[in-house]
Amino acid sequence: MAEDSGGPKAVDKWFDRASPTYRCVVDPTHQISSLFGWVNVPSAAWIDEEGRIVRSSEGAYPAETTYRFGIGKVRLGNNAFATATRDWIERGAHSEHVWSAKQLAERLRPVDDDTLLAEATFKLALHFEATGDGTRARRHFAAAEHLAPDNWNYLRQGWTHTGTAYAHLKVLRRTNRLRKTSDKSYYDPMELPGENYRRFTEPEWLWTPAARRLKQLLRR
Amino acid sequence: MIILANGKTNEVSQRTEANGALWVRLDELRGATGWQMKPEGACLGELCVPLPADRREDWIADADGWVWFCYSEFADMIGQKHVRDGDVWSLGSVPEVRRSGLESAIAPDFEITERNGDTLRLSDLRGHKVVLFTWSSW
Repeated sequence: MAEDSGGPKAVDKWFDRASPTYRCVVDPTHQISSLFGWVNVPSAAWIDEEGRIVRSSEGAYPAETTYRFGIGKVRLGNNAFATATRDWIERGAHSEHVWSAKQLAERLRPVDDDTLLAEATFKLALHFEATGDGTRARRHFAAAEHLAPDNWNYLRQGWTHTGTAYAHLKVLRRTNRLRKTSDKSYYDPMELPGENYRRFTEPEWLWTPAARRLKQLLRR
Repeated sequence: MIILANGKTNEVSQRTEANGALWVRLDELRGATGWQMKPEGACLGELCVPLPADRREDWIADADGWVWFCYSEFADMIGQKHVRDGDVWSLGSVPEVRRSGLESAIAPDFEITERNGDTLRLSDLRGHKVVLFTWSSW
């Protein structure tokens, strides 16, 4: 499920490259994350044959992956979630990674008034973005950011409205600031073998020659 | 007037004298918000909220030749957040649905269009294991 206000145009090239054999949807209004209470991608849920959620995890990278990030590259994630998912598919309720309803409830993010108001505000921003009213879109993206500053879906989608490079820069700056000034955990540990848990997504930088050169220039 | 709710954009009629409130024609209520009127009250799926009889005039009005329901008044009562900008109203999740659905561990149902144009409804996948996975381009 691609959560992207740009719709198919923004995500089709990745879907096409993946040649998926599974069902694929584009969710331009972030409906799915609202329903499941997720605040970033990648997030994932396992739902059993009776329609029960038996695991809901944020930061659920499907594999160790290298991304281009501006002129640099970052390495994120590992195989822990994919390995556990295969185990659940094979063993169902006997998988040690399945959560009970009580365990799930304990891990849900609280749904307070600001969370709910931020959701309505963010959807309003998405509407104005889709209808080409950038001024009102930016105003409501900013309001949603103020109401739900920990919701990376809102932040990153809103920043992307200004531009991809701008959004990347904002992510870097915010991550650096948080690393220095906050001890808050953004994701709960997935509690999976080999998880390599971190408080929030902290990429490992792979310096490309262009990025290394830029870094040297900035130091002068 | 436009109502954003449940991931959909719904164009609905506008009451002439709305006085800043969100009035929805009863015949457009379900399509625009998911709620419908039943003898037991306003209902969304299996959730029904009784409407106080002594405040009927706060909720229901005859105007412009139609029967209207004051949705913003109702939303305030059930704690559903709403934001307005011009003639666009955005409705947040219904708190009771969001909380009780996840706390019961039953996956909230949704309907969304697949890349190939088919409609995917989560409840249609009962009997299968489902892995939901979100990603994005940003």
